[in-house]
Amino acid sequence: MSAGYIDELHETFHSDLVYRSEDIPLDCTPKPKEMEQTLHGVMKLNGLVIRSLEEIAGRGANAVTYRAGKKFGHEVAKYFQKRENVEEALHELSDLLRGQYSFEVWKPEDKETFIIEENGETFIYLVFHDCIVRQTLRRNGLDQGGPLCQTLFGYVVGAIEEITGRKAKLEIVHTGPNACLKKLVLK
Amino acid sequence: MDIRVDKDACVGCGLCVKDCPMHVYELQNKVSVPVRPNNCMGCLSCHEICPAQALEHRGIYPARRHYIDIKVCEMLRKVI
Repeated sequence: MSAGYIDELHETFHSDLVYRSEDIPLDCTPKPKEMEQTLHGVMKLNGLVIRSLEEIAGRGANAVTYRAGKKFGHEVAKYFQKRENVEEALHELSDLLRGQYSFEVWKPEDKETFIIEENGETFIYLVFHDCIVRQTLRRNGLDQGGPLCQTLFGYVVGAIEEITGRKAKLEIVHTGPNACLKKLVLK
Repeated sequence: MDIRVDKDACVGCGLCVKDCPMHVYELQNKVSVPVRPNNCMGCLSCHEICPAQALEHRGIYPARRHYIDIKVCEMLRKVI
């Protein structure tokens, strides 16, 4: 390795910027466009972590990722206002997930209300449109509905439990390239 | 939701009928027909699975696609 290259490296990582401890960064740097390589790197890494976890832990991987997601959901949602009304809670949840996931409350045309009661279960259909998990899986050529999806499940369940104080469960009904249908079962 | 099936292209394989969780399609005279388009939630599984690329959805929300590699697309554009 030539000294010229080392000098060049030093030059790259040197600036005249004065950084004080009280300086609060208000913007992401660099700009999102320049973050593409980072985003793809993170997606690739996440995919490989999940693939390896599945290889080693088998079906146990789902439990690990679900648990991690649930903790994350509880952690994030504890700063949000508590709501007893499920509809308001879902509205709160969509604010919470903005930027990472976007979803809508959905019903088949033969159902009259969005809150459906069937076979002794009360549930709501949620259609997830934008989903960082789906992007990651497709980036890595992995199947949808596996352990990485469980992180989203845990996240939503944790957040709903935190906001409403009710126990909940999320089930996959269908996964697709553009949207996924989930069933939020309320207990 | 407005779903259109190219009747000339459809091979009547019935994959969209089997795959759709909301039973949007039915096979009629060996051609797929969207009989319950209002039940479609826009997952586009049918697009991915259709071997004849005979389907068209209008009024759909396209999900963000972060997984498309801009550099690969730029290269493809140069080639195409």
